[in-house]
Amino acid sequence: MRRKLSNLLSVGLLGILMGCGGPTPESQEKPSRTFGVVYQTLNNPFFVDLNAGMEEVIDVHGDELITLDSQFNSLKQKNDISDLILQGADAIFINPVNWEGIKGSLIQAKEKGIPCIIVDAPVKDQNLVLCQVASDNVEAGRLAARALAEVEPEAKVVILHLSVNKACIDRVDGFKEEAAKYPGMEILDTQEGEGTREGGRPVMRDLLGRFPEINAVFPINDPSALGAISALESAGKLENVTVVTVDGSQEGIAAIRAGKLHSTSAQFPKEIGKAAAEHAYKHLNGEEVPKDVVIPVELVTAENADEFLKEAETGS
Amino acid sequence: MKTAVRQLGPLLASVVGLLLLFRIWVPNFLASENLIDLTQQISVNAILALGMTLTILIGGIDLSVGAVVALVGTTAVFTMASVDESMSPIPQLTLGILAGLGAAIGIGLFNGLSAAKTRMPPFIITLATMQIARGLALRFNQGRPMNVPDSQTAFLAIGNGRVWEVVPIPVLIMVILFAIGALLLHGTLFGRHLYAIGGNRLAAQLSGVPVVRRETVVYILCAVMAGVAGLIHASQLYSAEPASGEGFELDAIAAVVVGGTSFTGGIGTVHGTLIGAIIIGILDKGLNQAGVHFSLQYVVKGLVILGAVYLDVVRRR
Repeated sequence: MRRKLSNLLSVGLLGILMGCGGPTPESQEKPSRTFGVVYQTLNNPFFVDLNAGMEEVIDVHGDELITLDSQFNSLKQKNDISDLILQGADAIFINPVNWEGIKGSLIQAKEKGIPCIIVDAPVKDQNLVLCQVASDNVEAGRLAARALAEVEPEAKVVILHLSVNKACIDRVDGFKEEAAKYPGMEILDTQEGEGTREGGRPVMRDLLGRFPEINAVFPINDPSALGAISALESAGKLENVTVVTVDGSQEGIAAIRAGKLHSTSAQFPKEIGKAAAEHAYKHLNGEEVPKDVVIPVELVTAENADEFLKEAETGS
Repeated sequence: MKTAVRQLGPLLASVVGLLLLFRIWVPNFLASENLIDLTQQISVNAILALGMTLTILIGGIDLSVGAVVALVGTTAVFTMASVDESMSPIPQLTLGILAGLGAAIGIGLFNGLSAAKTRMPPFIITLATMQIARGLALRFNQGRPMNVPDSQTAFLAIGNGRVWEVVPIPVLIMVILFAIGALLLHGTLFGRHLYAIGGNRLAAQLSGVPVVRRETVVYILCAVMAGVAGLIHASQLYSAEPASGEGFELDAIAAVVVGGTSFTGGIGTVHGTLIGAIIIGILDKGLNQAGVHFSLQYVVKGLVILGAVYLDVVRRR
């Protein structure tokens, strides 16, 4: 009896799997192209938008895109990529967890002749990839520093970093480069804010305790800026502190309209996704593609926030 | 023998079933290269699960293994990168590995002694050492990844090389460790002692099993397995990543319980764990390659773990 039940359950488990199965092989008439994309995380609207842009282009061609989430886990990312390689993907888009640690996967893809296109955050071994598509992160940092200098030329700034990520390193470099042009501006400290709301809040609170003179913050993205804002609000200091950041997410713009965030250097994730897919097709059609594709950023403040939202809604 | 068949039968059947099942959606799923890749993908988790099997078998648990993966990788790579440059690669490598495994033994010794000699639950002890090991790993290079020196081809081969161009070296290491583990657990007095402790600690103690010594050794072995996994992991990433290994302990526990080891201790096998790791590996690979939406993958994996454990409970009743 028990044996029967357990056999029944085994069959049941397989049934569950069948139920959740992937595309049935018959559904596609001609086996068209298969692309794979691997993100460091999909727990961030930025990457969801980026993926939507990519899908848009690939759908037009009637091809398939397999989207995988590496959950900030380099080992999972490595395994995800080798799955795509061995499945014979035509091209793989990678948003690396670890910009050095991805090397083994890039070598594996190169050996199989599968082009890798890096999106959003760069990799160290650029000779192993077809091209990299990313926002102009250095410029995004510069824009943030300039926006800050306009309202607070004597800013005493703290930076909430995500220092494992090269895109964020570039933003901070751009910010520091521009900030150096304003003699009154001073960077008090740089701390890890993890690039998330949960990470930004406690760090901001600690920094407020350590530096009572803080009057500006540069968190490297919208989520950590929102975390910092909530810490500033609960300390009753938001009025005296100017927050500038990089991203341009819906939540970030909403914070600008509510007067809590001064500016965000907006990125265009959908454009990044589209450009990446378009360059993959160009390459597969035998065309030459540039090594670096830089998608411009745009400063959003209270002045143009409404306009920006409208543009985003109409899906420009 | 009979019990072994009873335990392994359904597990092996699920392996075959899953392989054939994914073959439906993924035409080249059973291609030799894809299968070799599968064994390579599971190697880190399987080695962690091997150590975890021992701790769960004696009624304990080790949550620190994921953090130990990071600590050992960073310690080894830091050591290799900071020794005198005139030193040739092999002694450099030896020093790095010794330093890394030394760190693992330190954590394991602490876990083991605390678990064996105090009344603190292993869950809490290793929850604490998980934080400590993670913190120590993040001390290196301000928490940023550290590159393995290019001259260290021997170290890079640990995770990326192949024997006779076929068998990945991490797989070879995994197989050797599992063979040793199986001999130790199923063929020696030491192994029988572990079952006795897991079955009933007090009874084992009263019948003369050196409980404190055995428990301490088990936690050290578990940490050393995590150390070996950490070396492979760092080699595969060409760098040591202080933030890596997060959540690895949970994947290892999943492999152990899917493999039929009882969470309350006293029951379980090494080969069961290997099959458990293989099942989870097939699921990961199959769901990825079949293009199953990543959100559904979590659900399916959760259901499979639940189902496997339920089956196990039913069979034992």
